[in-house]
Amino acid sequence: MFDILDAVLERAQARGAADVEVFGETSTSRRIKVYRQEVEQLTAAQRRGVGVRVFSGGAVGHAYTSDLSDGALDDVVQRAVDNAAVSDPDEFMALPQPAGEPADVHPYDPRLADATDEQRIAVALEVEATALAADPRVKTVEDTMYVDGDGEVFIASTAGVRGSFRAGQCYAFAYVLAEQEGQVETGYSYSVGRALEDLDATAVGAEATARATRLLGAKKCPSMKAPVILDPFVSAAFFGVLSSALTADAVQKGRSLFAGREGERVAGELLELVDDGTLEDGLDSAPFDGEGVPCGRTPLISGGVLQGFLYDTYTARKAGRASTGNGMRGGYSSLPGVRPSNLVVTGPATPLDDIVAGMERGVLVTDAVGIHSGANPVSGEFSVGISGVLIENGRFTTPVHEVTLAGDIVGMLTGIRALGDDARWVPGGSIFTPSVVIEGMAIGGT
Amino acid sequence: MDLATFDTSLLHATIERALRRGGDFAEVFVEDRDSLGLRLEDGRIEQTSGGREVGAAVRLLSGEHTYYAYSDAVDEAGLSAAADAVAAAVSAGADGPEIVDLGAVLSDPAKNPVRVPPGGVAIARKALLVRAGDEAARAASSEIVQATVGYGDTRQRVLIANSLGDLVFDDRTRTRFVAQVVARRGDVIQTGHETVGGSAGFELVDEEIARRVARSAAEKATIMLDSKPAPVGAMPVVLANGFGGTLFHEACGHGLEADAIAKGASIYEGKLGEIVAAPHVDAYDDGSIPNGWGSQAYDDEGVPTQKTMVIEDGRLTGYLYDRLRAREAGAAPTGNGRRQSFRHVPIPRMTTTYIAPGDATPEEIIAATPRGFYAKSLAGGQVEPASGNFVFGVAEGYLIEDGRITTPLRGATLVGNGIDILMKIDLIAGDFDVKTGVCGKDGQGVPVGTGQATLRIAEMTVGGTG
Repeated sequence: MFDILDAVLERAQARGAADVEVFGETSTSRRIKVYRQEVEQLTAAQRRGVGVRVFSGGAVGHAYTSDLSDGALDDVVQRAVDNAAVSDPDEFMALPQPAGEPADVHPYDPRLADATDEQRIAVALEVEATALAADPRVKTVEDTMYVDGDGEVFIASTAGVRGSFRAGQCYAFAYVLAEQEGQVETGYSYSVGRALEDLDATAVGAEATARATRLLGAKKCPSMKAPVILDPFVSAAFFGVLSSALTADAVQKGRSLFAGREGERVAGELLELVDDGTLEDGLDSAPFDGEGVPCGRTPLISGGVLQGFLYDTYTARKAGRASTGNGMRGGYSSLPGVRPSNLVVTGPATPLDDIVAGMERGVLVTDAVGIHSGANPVSGEFSVGISGVLIENGRFTTPVHEVTLAGDIVGMLTGIRALGDDARWVPGGSIFTPSVVIEGMAIGGT
Repeated sequence: MDLATFDTSLLHATIERALRRGGDFAEVFVEDRDSLGLRLEDGRIEQTSGGREVGAAVRLLSGEHTYYAYSDAVDEAGLSAAADAVAAAVSAGADGPEIVDLGAVLSDPAKNPVRVPPGGVAIARKALLVRAGDEAARAASSEIVQATVGYGDTRQRVLIANSLGDLVFDDRTRTRFVAQVVARRGDVIQTGHETVGGSAGFELVDEEIARRVARSAAEKATIMLDSKPAPVGAMPVVLANGFGGTLFHEACGHGLEADAIAKGASIYEGKLGEIVAAPHVDAYDDGSIPNGWGSQAYDDEGVPTQKTMVIEDGRLTGYLYDRLRAREAGAAPTGNGRRQSFRHVPIPRMTTTYIAPGDATPEEIIAATPRGFYAKSLAGGQVEPASGNFVFGVAEGYLIEDGRITTPLRGATLVGNGIDILMKIDLIAGDFDVKTGVCGKDGQGVPVGTGQATLRIAEMTVGGTG
C-alpha cells in the first residue's frame, strides 16, 4: 500500500500541490447471522481505498477512490486539487506535522485471522441456543450475529508523516423477543474482543434473554420526579451523545454547552471521565489517529470538574495547543473529525445491590429509545422513551415501559450521586462505564 | 470502467460460477458511485470532499440461506473471487438451477428525469448555493449564531444481473440541500433544520430555493428561543404535514417490512385484512413517485419500484417485500429490496411512505382542539417493530389552547405504540407534503421520503421537562 501512497504524493506534487496527505485502508470482514440454528446469512468482504487531502494556502480539498489503477489515482489527485480550490482558506488549517512516536498499543491479535468460518458459525449458534434455552417465554431470537473486521491503515504525507498499523475486533450479538400474554419485550447483549476466543457466547445469549424477560408484564408508571439507575448500556448511550459536546470542534463552533466552562463543576464530584486511545483492551485503541498523531489519554471531567476538550490538528492550532490525537476517520472516504477514542467512566464504586436497597422509589433503566433523536447535544436537553424496572422500598417491583425520561445533560451530570460496581465495555462508541445513579429525574408516564 | 457498456458475458459467467456447487438463485450487483459534498460552517466552506467508489457483490440464495461476498475489484479476478467465496459457503454440492440467459439490458431513465446532470456543473457554482443559504440564515435574525449549510449530489450507476435472466441498468442521480441553524439568547440555545432533496439533478436547487430553506431553518431556531419546557402527560397531538410523516414511517412502516414479518418481530404479523388504523386512514409506500428523494426506477434487486397500498380504510392490505422474503411468503416482490451499497445485503426497506390526505383543513383541526400539543417538525425517531413502541423527538412544538396555537414548547418527545396511535387518528387535512430523510436499519442508511397531511391523534403521551 505504501507504494500507492507514494505514487499519489508524487502525482500531487507534479501538479503543484506542496502539502499533501494520503490515507489508505485495506480490510477484510465477516458477518454471520444465524436464525433457528441455521446460517441465515454469511457475508465475506474485502475493502480497500485511499483518501487524499490537499492543503493549499489554508484551504483543503479531499477526494477518495476505491479504484487504485493509475488512471484512478490521477483522477483522485485532480479532484482533491479541484476541491481545494472551492474551499475557503483558514489560517489554522495546515498539513499535520509528525507528532512523535506512535502510542505503544497493539490492537491486533493474530488469532482473529486464524479462526475458520466453522468456528465463527459455532459461536453464533451457541449464542442463539443459549438465548432460546434460557427461558420458555422467548418468542424468537430475531438477530444473532458474529461479526469481525481485520484491517490495516496507512498514512503518508509530504510533511514526513508515515505509519501503518493493523487492528482487529470481533463481537457476538443477540436480540431477543420475549412474549407473555400477548405482550412482547426485547433485550440484547454483546460480547466483544480481539479474537474469537475472547467472546463469551453463553453470557451473550443468557443476558439478552434476561434483559427481555425482566420487562415482561411492564406497564406505564405514574409521572414522577425520582432517582434513576442507568444500566451500563443506557449510561454508555448517554455518554456517547454527551461526548460530542466535549470536542473542541463543538466548542469552537458554538455548539457545546461546555464552552468556556473549563475548571467549573459540571458533574457529581465522584465522576471521572477520560478519553484514552491507548488502552490494550479498548475497542477503538490505536497507535495513532487519522492524521498520524499519536493517540493519548485526555482527562475530560475529574472530581466533577471540567478539565478540557478533545482536539484534532486543526482545532488544536486554533486553540494554540497540541492535538490530543482525536482526529478520527471513519475510513478512507471520510475526512478526519474530532471524536473520542475510548471513553472511560470511573469513580468510587458502590455494589449495585446496596444502591437498590437504599432507594425508596426509583427506576432502573435498562433500555432507552431515541437518545440520538430525543437528545439535543447543543442545548443539552433530552427526552427519551425508556423501559426498566420500578424500585420501591429498596426492592425491584413492577417492570415499566412506554414512559419518558427527560432533563438536561448538565443537570443530569450534576445529579450523579453514585456509580455501580458493574463497569463494562459497551461497543458502538467504545465506552467503558458502570451503572450510574442520578437524582431527581423527570419521568413521564400516566 | 463504464457500466453502460459492461461485458454482460462476464456477469453470466459469474452467476454460473457462484451456482456451481448448488444454491437456487444467484445475483451480481455492480456499482459505480460518484459523490460530492460541500459543507459551509462558521461562514466558511470547509474541507470539500468527493470521490468515486466502485465495487461488485455476488449473492447466492440456497433455501433460506444467504451467502454474500463483495470486492472493490470489478474485473474478472474480483468477480471470480466473490463467486468462489459464496460457492464455497454452500454446504450442499447439489446442482444449481438452470440459469436463464441474460436478456436485453432494461433501464427506465424516464422515471426520474435529470434535466441538469450535477456532474456537468462546476463546483464553484454549487458553492454559491451554500453561500446564499448562509447569508439568508444569518440575515433572518440577529440571534442566529451559527449556520451549517450543506449541498450534496450523488450519481450511482448499478448493473444487476441474476440467474432468472434479469438484467437491469439503473442510473440514479440524487441532489440534496440541507440547512441547520443555531440561535442563541443568553443561555438558551436552539437549533432549526430544513432540507430539500430528490432523485433529480441540479435543477432541484437554485439560490432562491437555497435561501428559502435556510431561512426556514433559521425561523424554527429563533421561534424556539421563546419556547417553554413541554408539559408531561397524555393529550391530543396534532402533527403538521411533511415532517409529521415520520410518525407513520416509525410507528407503522418498519413493522410492514417483510423481514420483521417473517421473524414474528412485527405487531403487524398475521394481521392482513384486519383493522389496524382508524377507518378513514389510507396509506402507501411508493418508490415510483417521479423525482422523489426515496424514488428510483428499480430497486437494488432489479425489481421495478411501484406504489403499494398498505392500509385501505384502516385495514391492513400489504407488506413490503424484497425477493427473498417474497419467495418465502409466496408473494410478489414489491420493489422494496434496497441496499446502501454493494457492501450491503439487500433487505426490505421503505421508499416513500405516507398517509393519504383527508378533507379537513389544518385550521379546522387546530380549532377543534381545546388543549393539545402541536408538533410542527419532528427531529427523528426510533421504533421497536416487535412491540410497536416508538419515540420521536420534537424539533418544533407548540401548545394548543382554546383551539389556537400558542406557546412554543421545547424538549418534547412523543412516545406511543404503532397500532394504538393509528387507531386514534381522528382528523386528517388535505395539505399533503413529503419530506426527505435517511433511514437507518441493520447498519444501512438509505434515502427515504416521509409524507402526510396535518392530522390529529386523539391522545398520545408527551414527555417533556415542564
